[in-house]
Amino acid sequence: MFDQSEDAVERLARHLRRAVRINPALDERVMRAITALPAPGRTTWLGEVWRWLKRPHQLTLTPLGGLAAAAAVAVVVVLTRMDSRPPAPPEEDSRAFQFALVAPHATRVSLVGDFNDWDATRTPMRQTGTEALWTVVVPLVPGRYHYAFFVDDSRWLADPSAPVARDEDYGAPSSVLTVGGGGS
Amino acid sequence: MGIHSVGTSDAALVRRVHAGDTGAYADLVARYRDRLGRYALHMLGNREDAEEVLQDSFVRAYRSLARCDDPERFGAWLYGILVNRCRTAGARAARRARRFVHDPVALETAPLAGPDGRTEWDDMVRWALARLPSESREAFLLKHVEELEYEDMARLTGAGVSALKMRVKRAREQLQAMLKEAERV
Repeated sequence: MFDQSEDAVERLARHLRRAVRINPALDERVMRAITALPAPGRTTWLGEVWRWLKRPHQLTLTPLGGLAAAAAVAVVVVLTRMDSRPPAPPEEDSRAFQFALVAPHATRVSLVGDFNDWDATRTPMRQTGTEALWTVVVPLVPGRYHYAFFVDDSRWLADPSAPVARDEDYGAPSSVLTVGGGGS
Repeated sequence: MGIHSVGTSDAALVRRVHAGDTGAYADLVARYRDRLGRYALHMLGNREDAEEVLQDSFVRAYRSLARCDDPERFGAWLYGILVNRCRTAGARAARRARRFVHDPVALETAPLAGPDGRTEWDDMVRWALARLPSESREAFLLKHVEELEYEDMARLTGAGVSALKMRVKRAREQLQAMLKEAERV
């Protein structure tokens, strides 16, 4: 089937590089969807300042100018420290939850659930202590969450230590966690 | 970077969108539709999912346009959104698949149904690509189909260059083996 002189994988890649035509009606659907949205962040002067600060700049200072700038920075730092308060929690009412899974043969485990849009890349778990134990800590606000463990990019496991949830969408195993709004 | 724009610059169009000209966004959508659609189609394996993810990526990009720090690199930034959305959609599709397929052997050997006009080679390519682990498929497509440099791939995927090289190498080996196997049948 193949031309023996050409590497089959190269041929496959060349085949995949062919132009693909997506239905132009998609443009209309996108435009319809975005007209219902607010205009994308009209840039405020504060936004402009922030963007300017994030861009690399080259500054040339005379020795005297350098001293003045250092003094100004020192004053700002001192004033800031005088008014220092503990940093605000990431989100009001959120509480940290540790998820754990014993999976001695896994090479990669992620936590997926309603809180991270079931995105396996967003909450990777780390091997803790022994190689069998995978954990991650996630701040959650009150609510009811379905979640599961995604092991080695191929297997979905419900949390063996939590109530099993019937997944209305797909019927795959998942667990349920209810985070209350009180102090407990 | 391997993600470029042509004609009126992306930055000019992005500036027009920021200035309230929503229509300029339609130009950006038309500019990137097919290019990004190709990646989504190969990554997800079917047109319906690819178009859904593509539409979602364009809408998300519009919503977060203020966070595109370098409008000249709008294409690369948009690509990053698409790569992430494909990952999410791929994971969801994997969950969905388990609901309908309970026999892994049948899954391995099932022929891919396709519309008329698709060649045997088309089917073989899709079959082989679908059997790659998603990370390998992603790396292979970005390197050999989208023809990105490893540094750009690292920025898009968050993975290290050496890990990406390893994924591409494994993908090539697996594809080579699968194509050989298919040729023998």
